[in-house]
This record gives sequence, structure tokens and C-alpha cells, in this order.
Amino acid sequence: MSIHSKLAGAVSGVAMLVGAAAVQAETLFWSTQARPAEEAQAMRTEVLGGFDGEVDYQPNEDGPWLTRLQAELQAGSGSIDLLGSLHGNFSAMNPEDLMDLGDLGVMSASDTFNDLAMLGTDSLHYMPWMQASYIMAANTEALQYLPEGADINALTYDQLIAWAANVEDATGQKKFGFPAGPKGLKHRFFQGYLYPSYTDGVVRTFASPEAVTAWEKFKELWSHTNPASTNFSFMQEQLLNGDAWIVFDHTSRLAQAFNERPDDFVAFPAPAGPTGRGFMPVLAGVAIPRTAPDAESAKALVAYLMQPETQIATLKATNFFPVVDVELPDDLPPSVKAAGEAVATMSGSADANPGLLPAGLGSMGGDFNRVYVDTFERIVLAGQPIEQVLEDQKKRLEKIMNETGAPCWAPDAPSDGPCPVE
Amino acid sequence: MTAVADVVAPDARKAGRGVYRTGVILLCAWVIVPLYLLFVNTMSSPETVNSFPKSFIPEFNMGSLNFFMGFQGILMALWNSVVVAVLTMVMSITIGAPAGYALSRFEFRGKELFRLLILLTRAFPLPLLALPLAVLFIRTGLDDTAFGLSLVHTTLAIPFAVLITFSLFSGIPLELEEAAWTLGCTRLTAFTKVILPLVLPGITASAIFAFVISWNEVFAAAVLTIENRTLPAFLLQTLGEAPLHLKFAGGFILVVPALIFIFAVRKYLFAMWGIANR
Repeated sequence: MSIHSKLAGAVSGVAMLVGAAAVQAETLFWSTQARPAEEAQAMRTEVLGGFDGEVDYQPNEDGPWLTRLQAELQAGSGSIDLLGSLHGNFSAMNPEDLMDLGDLGVMSASDTFNDLAMLGTDSLHYMPWMQASYIMAANTEALQYLPEGADINALTYDQLIAWAANVEDATGQKKFGFPAGPKGLKHRFFQGYLYPSYTDGVVRTFASPEAVTAWEKFKELWSHTNPASTNFSFMQEQLLNGDAWIVFDHTSRLAQAFNERPDDFVAFPAPAGPTGRGFMPVLAGVAIPRTAPDAESAKALVAYLMQPETQIATLKATNFFPVVDVELPDDLPPSVKAAGEAVATMSGSADANPGLLPAGLGSMGGDFNRVYVDTFERIVLAGQPIEQVLEDQKKRLEKIMNETGAPCWAPDAPSDGPCPVE
Repeated sequence: MTAVADVVAPDARKAGRGVYRTGVILLCAWVIVPLYLLFVNTMSSPETVNSFPKSFIPEFNMGSLNFFMGFQGILMALWNSVVVAVLTMVMSITIGAPAGYALSRFEFRGKELFRLLILLTRAFPLPLLALPLAVLFIRTGLDDTAFGLSLVHTTLAIPFAVLITFSLFSGIPLELEEAAWTLGCTRLTAFTKVILPLVLPGITASAIFAFVISWNEVFAAAVLTIENRTLPAFLLQTLGEAPLHLKFAGGFILVVPALIFIFAVRKYLFAMWGIANR
């Protein structure tokens, strides 16, 4: 009896649920960005609330995001209307699977970004949506230990190392923090900061004598780095709990520290090496998959996201900066002000050496990052001889470049064929 | 020898009791201390969560919890999670218990292979299976339904359901059933009147297992549901990178419903372990 009634209940429940799933009127925004709970909430209320139409904003980790998207593309029908992700994820996709957005009449103010968004074709396959960068931040208590004559807005790597050493001498603790944890963005530091600053390249100069110097310097810095750094992925946490006083990370991964205790922390540009102050942008974009059930409203949503007011709302919600020309208002959160000034100082400095995001690597982007992470782990964590490790890893890097045929990107000098590892 | 043993006995017994008590206290602390810390940090302001040393007294700051109360779609996700978990529970028992009974009572060709094959459903990682599953679900219309997701979760839960009920049925002598048959029961009534009451606690335990497996599963839920997201798929992905105080509060919200459920059915669990039924 009771089992019968339970079964009947279950069956009718199933029927109701199957029926309910058929109703779908919202535009589904499937994103890997603005994932943290507070940012997702701000995206829903502050950014997408103003759109003329219902938007279902769903942030996901990369794994489920890509699996779901691939499933819909393979099945030939889907529910995702709009994709939001980083340049790296889009460049790993087949451009054919993303609708041409060239006829929308909007694009970013940066030609570099628009070029990247064409994914090697001659039309716009994703829309540059927002940008960020990596900067340094420090606890104000650490400022008293700055080496003599050092200007925090024009530090060199040598001064940074001396600074971290001074802090260790004074407090007895290693207070430099580096995001070397499993989810940390350490590879971007090597690709966009350390290598350009010491070798004026990323791929060509991978195993050069200058690269050996760079790794020696980094090992020196590591000797004053909090050894727990291999667990750190979001440096705002270590800034707030005092485990680290001087850190490097993505602007949006430092935001919480500035927003919670704006007077306790300062943001400043990344240090400079012999070949300038290397730094790298982060670019996020939006795209419409060819299986989108409602491409019209998705296109309307793209146009809405590119409006200056929406871009400012996005900046406040996610700490990612606009990609169109906007007049920034005065009432920005402390994290945005701090990061914005640091990025501006960095890109405006006399020795600025801006790099680009890796391009043309397609689905090998992850393997490319792996080369730099493995090199770091072998040289710095395992203490293996630098020349030997660089020679080993050079072969892997060469293989990736030859398989993908990716030409060089800045700061490497341009190449005709695949970027050579010299 | 015996004299020595007699002299030592009271002390040894005392020591034994001491070890037993310490063991019990350690085991309880193993479970309760993390839960308590989760509770304290959920009830603390962001500043307290980030400070050190930690306080052991909650300050009843509801800020973090209130944030989630206003989080769009969280109640719907909670409801979906319950629906999926209950469907998983019902289906894995309806399929798993008869399989367990068959394994313990009947001899058939390929029995050993069958037992091995059942375990194989757990041998393939979900991220590997999710893509073909999602393609199939989209084509058949099962995509984005609680029923479709609970099918996947049932597959994950069935090995446990089969193996637990198999050992339960094996623990009940066949003679009991035979006696019932001689007293006029059919095969079915002997099962429902004699065997079922004896194994019900164990079946409940494997149902709880199924519930917890479904409750904790994230990857399939994240890929196979969109509008009808479950709580872990909805919340867990936004927590990985959230500030610490929200991680604690989100974890608390994920843990509490499962705890309440297990608390509600605890007497069946205790009954299975032979502790008085109260």
C-alpha cells in the first residue's frame, strides 16, 4: 500500500518536473567569470537587472562550463544563449562554433583586443567584454622596511627581493606571498612578468642565459617567501589574515582586501628587470554559440553589456575594467581605485614592457601553461639545476609551438612561422 | 600465572575503560569539532573569520547567512536537491534491494561477474561520462530534469545499495524463510512478513547512503541541469573562490539539510547497529 502510494507520488512528481522543464523564456548567460558568490549576486542584480528582458546568469567552473557547451554543440541544440569566459577558453574552441558578431556595430576600443577576438579568422567571434591585470599589493606595515631609495611605484626586482629580506630580518617571518597554490595564477607571473622583465620575450628566450638569471632571481625571492605559498591561490586572504605582507596577484583576487580594510593596504605596479617592467592584460569576452536557442536576445544582451553604463556597473561588480571608452565616476569601490591607479602607473611607466596574452595555441593553452608551472616546480621547489631544467622543458615548448604553428606575440619579436624557441 | 592475572585485573579493567572512554571522546570530537568550527565561523563577522586566534564562542553575527538568504534561486536549488536526492533514494532501493536479494539467495551463471560489473559503474570518473551523457540527455529530452539527474545519481548509488542489501540478506538464515513457507506463506508473503521487517533498518541505511551520494554530487549536476540546478551545483561553484566568511556560511547551508535528514532517520541506523531502538 504505502509503497504503491510512494511510487505513484514519485511518478507524478517526475511527470511534473519533466513538464516544468519545457518552459524557458530567460536568456541563459553561461559564464566562467564573476563566479564568487558576491560577484555572481552583483552581476544578477546590479549589471543584468537593467537589461530589457530576463537573464539567467549562471557562473560555472571551467570543467562543467566546457563539458556542457561541447554537449550542446554535439547534440546540435541547446539552452545556452550567451557564453562568458576568458580569451584562453575561446581561443581553444573552433571559431565555427561561435556566431559572427561583426554586424553588431559595437566593439572594444582596443585594436589588440579586437584582433585577439577574431581567433585567427577575419571576423569577430567573441566580443571583448572586460579586462584586468596583475599587480602587487602590500600591507602598510611593510612600507617602513622598503630599501633605501626605493620608490614603491618604480620598484625593481632587486629592490623587491631586498624589501622582502628586510621584512624577514625585522619580523623573523617570511612575508612575501606568491599564488603558487593549485588554483593560483603563478604561470601568468612567469609568462607576463618575470620573463618579459628579464629576457624581453616569453617563447624565443625561454632557455636563454637571461632566463637563467631570471630564475636565479626568482629563487632568491622565493627564499624570503612564505613557504605556505604553495597553498595560496587568492592573495586577498593572506593579506587579510597577515600571512603575507607583500603579494602579487590578479586585481580581482586582491579586491576583497582593499574593500574590507582600504587604509591597511596599498597597490603598486609590478617590479622592473633589466629589460623593462613586464606586465600582461587579462581579457574576458562574451560569445554566442551556434546552438543558441534565442540568438536575437543574446545579441541584444551583448550590445547592452558593451554600453558604457553597463561596463561601469560590471567594473563595480567584478573588478574587471571596461574595454570601451568610458568616463569613470568618483564613487568607485576602494579596490577599483587602488587597482586602477596601479595599472595606470604600470602601463604609463617609462620602462613599461607590455606583453600580450598567448595567442594561436588553441587547445594547447593548458599544456603551454604547464611548461612554465613545471619549470617553476622543478627549479624552485625541487631545487634542480636551472640550465638542465630549461633544456628539458625547452623541448616540450618547441613541440607545442610546432604543433600549433602559433606565431610569436609581444614582447617576443614577430616570427614568420611558428614561434621558435631559441 | 592466575594469581598474577588476578592481581592485575582490576587495574587492567580500569585502564581498559579509560582507553574506551578516550576512544569514544576522540571519535566524537573527530566529528563534532569541525562542525562546531563551521558553525562558529558562520555566525562570525568577516573580520573575526579572518583574525587569529579563533574564538570558540559564536558571536551570532548573521551577516553571512543573510547574504545567502537574499541569494537568487537558492530556495529553488534546495528544493531541487531534495527532489533529486529522494528520487535517487527510491530508485536505487527499488533496483538495488532485489538485486541484493537475488545475489544472496539464488545461484545463477555469471553471478561473480555480475558482482564485479556492479562495482564497475564507479570505475569511470564522471567528468569522462558527463559529455556523452549530456549529449544523450539533450537528444532525448531528459536534459535539465530532476528525473534525468537522479538516473545518473542512481547509477552511482546502486553499487552501494546492492552490496549493502546483499550482505543484509546473507545475514538472515534461509531457514527462517523456509519455516515461513512451511507455515503457509508464499515466497512473496514470506519475504514481506518475515524478511523485510528484519532488513528494513539496513535498507534505510543504504537509502541514506544513496541520499548522501546524490546530495554531494556536483559535476553531473552542473552539466546536466540548467534551470533546475541542485544546491551543490548552484552553490559549490560560487564558493570555491568566495571570501572566507561566505565559504563557511555556504558550507554550513550545504551541511545542515543533510544533517537534519540523517538525524531524522537515525533510529533506523541505530537499530541496524544493534543499539536499543529509541
